[in-house]
Amino acid sequence: MSQNGSLQLPDAEGYLNRVIGELRALKAPHKNTLVSVLEYLSDHIRVTRNEIGALKSGSGNAQVFSTTTDELEEIVTETARATNRIMDAAESVEKVAVTLEPASAGALMDAVTSIYEASAFQDITGQRITKIVRALQSLEEKLAALASAFGPLDETFVANAPEGDAALLNGPQMEKTAASQTDIDALFASLG
Amino acid sequence: MSLNKNMRVVIVDDYTTMLRILRNLLRQLEINNVDEANDGDTAYHLMQKNPPDLVISDWNMVPVTGLDLLRKVRADAKLKHIPFIMVTAESKTENVVAAKQAGVSNYIVKPFNADTLRAKIVSVFPAMV
Repeated sequence: MSQNGSLQLPDAEGYLNRVIGELRALKAPHKNTLVSVLEYLSDHIRVTRNEIGALKSGSGNAQVFSTTTDELEEIVTETARATNRIMDAAESVEKVAVTLEPASAGALMDAVTSIYEASAFQDITGQRITKIVRALQSLEEKLAALASAFGPLDETFVANAPEGDAALLNGPQMEKTAASQTDIDALFASLG
Repeated sequence: MSLNKNMRVVIVDDYTTMLRILRNLLRQLEINNVDEANDGDTAYHLMQKNPPDLVISDWNMVPVTGLDLLRKVRADAKLKHIPFIMVTAESKTENVVAAKQAGVSNYIVKPFNADTLRAKIVSVFPAMV
């Protein structure tokens, strides 16, 4: 209970357990049904708190939301890089095209124009991904508010954390933390 | 329909890829006098220093959006006559209405093709058609 006497969410599980204990001590008929319902509610609150704690801590060492956001931003970076390389190539073709006889030049220029037009996908996908990132950030804020309402959480509880071979599936690597081929070669060689 | 190949164009987009696409497509239209800006503020200062003949701007930019930029341009006595084409992925009716009310000269929805770009540029210079 809070100081003003109202029940706060963090107290709910303990409060319910006290009520359950008191009910069990009674010799009232039909109490078992009520006890079962309250036990169900108490379990539900505990599981929900654990799940929120797991979401807050994330699986493994990474924060679920920030990792997902980073992954999405990496997509934008990678597609921008690929698009620029495609346009580098298209611009090179365009320079050659103007030196050719008109029919060939025209055909090549049409193809180059199509490449430029199609390259707009990067802008469109980038905007969509940015919207998803914002939605995730909003969800993260709401989850933090919910977690705060539930009081201190057991953040060591990890729900459905991958184990065994599944725990090895974390790629593709994020560029800022990625090992280079040189790093991998050195590691590989060091393993004998 | 002909285009004034010597016109100076300011293109505005926060995606460098899109700026490059626009520049390349304009070059194919033989329009080479092109300045770029990554946001509305930079574009506005660029225009104040040297008013262009045409502005082609994205909408969705921060902190100054393409719509903000359009309103600033239309409120500026020195710039208000400049044709302004919005090139954007925002395609809801209310977007087009808001842009029209703010004084946009034409509206291109992304993704677009070179023919559309050319047609819209021609349309905002009716005297040259």
